[in-house]
Amino acid sequence: MKILLVEDDKQTADYIAKGLRQHGHVIDCADNGRDGLYLATGERYDVLIVDRNLPKMDGLSLVKAARTSGTTTPALFLTTMGGVDDRVEGLEAGADDYLVKPFAFAELLARVSALARRPPIAATTSLKVGDLELDLLSRNVMRASKRIELLAQELKILEYLMRHAGEVVTRTMLLEKVWDFHFDPKTNIVETHISRLRAKIDKGFDKPLLHTVRGAGYVIRAPE
Amino acid sequence: MSSAHPSRTLRILRSATFRLALFYAGLFVMSAGALFATVYVTATAAMQSDMQAVLRSEALQLAEINRSSGLLGLAQQITRRMNFRTRGPIYYLLQGPTGQVVVGNLPGMPPVEGVIDFMRDTANDEPETGRDRLTGFGLRLGDGSFLLVAQDASRLIDMQRAIVRAFIWAGGLTLLLAIGGGWLLGSNFVRRIDTIGRTSRAIMEGDLSARIPVRGTNDEIDQLVDGLNAMLERIQQLLDGLRQVTSDIAHDLRTPLGRLRQRLEDAREHATNTTEYAAATEAAIAEADSLLEIFSALLRIAQIEAGAQRSAFTEVDLSALMRSIGEAYAPAAEDSHHKLETSIADGVILTGDRQLLAQMVSNLVENALSHTPAGSAVRLALRTAGAGIEIEVSDNGPGIPEAERDKVFDRFYRLDRSRTTAGSGLGLALVKAIATLHGLSLRLEDRRPGLAVIAASA
Repeated sequence: MKILLVEDDKQTADYIAKGLRQHGHVIDCADNGRDGLYLATGERYDVLIVDRNLPKMDGLSLVKAARTSGTTTPALFLTTMGGVDDRVEGLEAGADDYLVKPFAFAELLARVSALARRPPIAATTSLKVGDLELDLLSRNVMRASKRIELLAQELKILEYLMRHAGEVVTRTMLLEKVWDFHFDPKTNIVETHISRLRAKIDKGFDKPLLHTVRGAGYVIRAPE
Repeated sequence: MSSAHPSRTLRILRSATFRLALFYAGLFVMSAGALFATVYVTATAAMQSDMQAVLRSEALQLAEINRSSGLLGLAQQITRRMNFRTRGPIYYLLQGPTGQVVVGNLPGMPPVEGVIDFMRDTANDEPETGRDRLTGFGLRLGDGSFLLVAQDASRLIDMQRAIVRAFIWAGGLTLLLAIGGGWLLGSNFVRRIDTIGRTSRAIMEGDLSARIPVRGTNDEIDQLVDGLNAMLERIQQLLDGLRQVTSDIAHDLRTPLGRLRQRLEDAREHATNTTEYAAATEAAIAEADSLLEIFSALLRIAQIEAGAQRSAFTEVDLSALMRSIGEAYAPAAEDSHHKLETSIADGVILTGDRQLLAQMVSNLVENALSHTPAGSAVRLALRTAGAGIEIEVSDNGPGIPEAERDKVFDRFYRLDRSRTTAGSGLGLALVKAIATLHGLSLRLEDRRPGLAVIAASA
């Protein structure tokens, strides 16, 4: 993927760029908002990573200006911790996701991958991973023609994982997408739900579909 | 006090109270002046016309005597009346047809009929008494002789003087009272303002406990002082809180920072292979994460207490939110062998910040789950109570000792028995901040066994 990183703190920028390059992405960097906007509107990128506080033009204005000029590249905001309203402001400005600094690199990587525009799934009514199928209309889940009963929140987790099949989904992403919790509960809510979901969809089958990625999150993928 | 400050006298004279008193006195003196002027003019006119009527009737009476008894009879009558002054000094003049004075105590003059005002040369009389100013009524008699009856203006002048004197006394007294009263009130006002000034200087110099004394009369200044004292109380609380938080932060962060340092040092000194280094880094990252978490919680509490989020308030479906929280925690509760029960009323809407409310309820549930032994029941309830709502998270665990109940919502406060378990001691402080932001009051109820935390709207 080709990614634009707009970040004025050199150390943070190097850390992010290095990590993303290691994962095979191509990174352009800008250390101020004006250059960032110039690149974002002039070049084609798959994802924009934009810091909130930038010299010459702040991140909010950058994304707003980019959206006004017709750039639809998905954008991820980096904000400093504690800003309770930052998320709302960022999303209103046209960003697609946000991440609070400091963050674990795995979290950034998972979110960037989730944001990247992929070919839209043709108007489908069901999601399939291996022999697991989720009917989006009836909300029925079948694996190998066996009906699986799921609770509402388990179903939501499964749907999100299946929509991002093959991609790592972090604990925080699930908290945000499934429960709309934008804070960090001390209790392992996600882990306990995942273990129940796993028991229902993988138990009794030869090949597990739901995998834990250590230090990062979860991924659902069809067996090789 | 420095020379830049005006003297006390000047300040009293400039005080609003003093000026108001003077202003009212001025108004009073002006209206009294108008009243006295009216009285003066009216009384003077009335007295003058009265005098003229008296003179006229006297003259006509004498003319009648002239007709019945002749000039001689008239002269005798006039002489008698001159000696018999019953109605104050009345002057007479009777001149014969040729102009010679027949009888009278006025010098001869050219005859004029009707009301006449004239001056009399009275060298012996005091000036200004009005005895030289005469008003007379002249009458030409049938035989061509001239009769003049006159009276001097002394009574009129006396009366006018009395009126003016009354006015000067009344006005002067009013002004004096106003100045005196205004001075008293003004100095009182200035004294009270000075007290406020002194107190504020004492506070600026560091005595935060100083308060402005109230007089107890519950007047405007007392009310103002009450307001100021309440503000000072709040400021002191906030500063105390700040001081407390600063020292708490210093104290509570030293431990994890120390641990972090130890781990890194330990790795530098003793790690010999990548596995050991990896383990040390892992532990250091976990330590750093918990530090960041504390910072983040502190910032959040500070932000919430500043009330910045209220602008983002929307209608939150609390029933749905709490159900979702109940479902979210159900598996975790099951794994830690707790019974999580929910009793949630339908359709409860609260104006607020959904994220913060979710965090508040989650923190309470987590608190109940982590501080009660396996086998305990935790209950999550939402109900309407009168016009308000009540969010309740209760358990049948060991509860909180009475003495510590007030403190559990303080930052970094941890019960002695919780010192060994994980946690920053900020969870309930955050709960309190969120509840306060939403106008919810928190109370703890002893459930014997167990504890209920209830957030209730007014």
